[in-house]
Amino acid sequence: MLNSGRMVIDVDVHNSLRSARDLLPYLSEPWRSRVASSGTGLPSTGYFNPHGVLREDCKPPSGGPAASDPDFLAEDLLKPYNIEYAILNGDLMGVSTMHDPDHGAAIASAYNDYMANVWLSKNDAFRATILVSSHDPLLAAREIERMADHPRMVGVIMGSAHRGLLGQRQFHPIYEAAARHELPVAIHPGTEGSGGAYPPTASGYPTRYLEWHTDLSQSYMAHLVSLVCEGVFERFPKLKFVMLEGGIAWLPHLMWRLDKNYKGLRSTVPWLKRMPSEYIRDHCLFSTQPIEEPDDPKQLLAIFDMIDAENILMFSSDYPHRDNDSPLEILRWLKPEAKQKIFYDNAKKLYKL
Amino acid sequence: MPINYVANAGDIPEGTNIIVDVKGLSIGVYNIGGEFFALLNRCPHEGAPLCKGKICGTTLPSGVYQYEYGRVGELVRCPWHGWEFEIRTGKAIFDEKVRAKSYKVQVDDGKVGIVVG
Repeated sequence: MLNSGRMVIDVDVHNSLRSARDLLPYLSEPWRSRVASSGTGLPSTGYFNPHGVLREDCKPPSGGPAASDPDFLAEDLLKPYNIEYAILNGDLMGVSTMHDPDHGAAIASAYNDYMANVWLSKNDAFRATILVSSHDPLLAAREIERMADHPRMVGVIMGSAHRGLLGQRQFHPIYEAAARHELPVAIHPGTEGSGGAYPPTASGYPTRYLEWHTDLSQSYMAHLVSLVCEGVFERFPKLKFVMLEGGIAWLPHLMWRLDKNYKGLRSTVPWLKRMPSEYIRDHCLFSTQPIEEPDDPKQLLAIFDMIDAENILMFSSDYPHRDNDSPLEILRWLKPEAKQKIFYDNAKKLYKL
Repeated sequence: MPINYVANAGDIPEGTNIIVDVKGLSIGVYNIGGEFFALLNRCPHEGAPLCKGKICGTTLPSGVYQYEYGRVGELVRCPWHGWEFEIRTGKAIFDEKVRAKSYKVQVDDGKVGIVVG
């Protein structure tokens, strides 16, 4: 029996379409014909995991790709791991890096309607995030407006690859809409280097998937510094920002370096009223998977102390991706109170579950 | 040590494996070149069902930018994080101190038995 008795909230589950045709009922022309003949058109990064991205051991018996059957997902993930709520983030975050902003926005809207109709009514444990494309932030804000009142839409999801650093003013309409509806905005990696995005590292294109995947944290660091310095959290004091799957071990470095620089350079960002790291602690949350694995777990515990992990970290499985984490196996060394917060309380509070 | 007979040798063709339950343990039984081996169906990393992973080969240690593929059919790759293990011994390829639990197998009169203490 896998079940440990502890209730868990999983903040990053990747439900999948059976095929792009699932979106057809929710698309208007010309997008409907395009998707019918050639799929969603999401751009690729060109980086391939040679073993595939999806776990081989969780294909639904009903057919279709992993995590495309709501009932089997409940059976395979929620039940054995005691997951009370799963935040479904899908796998279409690449809409932000498409070249045609209308195309990206159309796919995002159709996906959101598909989620409301096909998934959210299926299981009381399912919650979803509203997919938007950042390419045209005004369209993104309108989409948030359109979906925000759905009782099971609990946040906004975007990829972490965009046409600019996420703190910059062109993206603020997204945050204005999200903050007004008290919906956290989450980003998720995987589209770095695709379509209209920048190269996946600040120094160019790595050669292989191993490097690309390791370097994804760079993109998170740049967005986080931007969000703080551009005053996003001063302008939208209610905004919560969720950094999914980007790692956490780099946070002490970033907070210390940013605070140190701020002391001498605060005159360039006079709108900041507090030390930069305080905005991070108050407005940003992070997810566990893929949890860092030093040979000596005490080293990770020390980092947890440095970043006050028990108040800013939330468990995520990343099911059904190969690099997923089991809630029964990771962070066993945490004290019970910290475990309760990271595996349950922090997400319950953030998503108002 | 008690032997648990789990299959006829002919039921596990060369290059394949089956997964059986022995005393509540899920165990993968492999036929590699006519020899039988058994591994606990649990990856030592995060508890994934290791024996549902593909039987595979891999790139052998080589010079920079050289690729030499080998060990075909000798390894299993975990269906989650992709760790590769030697089916014969359970040793991980990246570090032989990391091991999937393995069991002794013996074949008696065409029956495959796993020794589980």
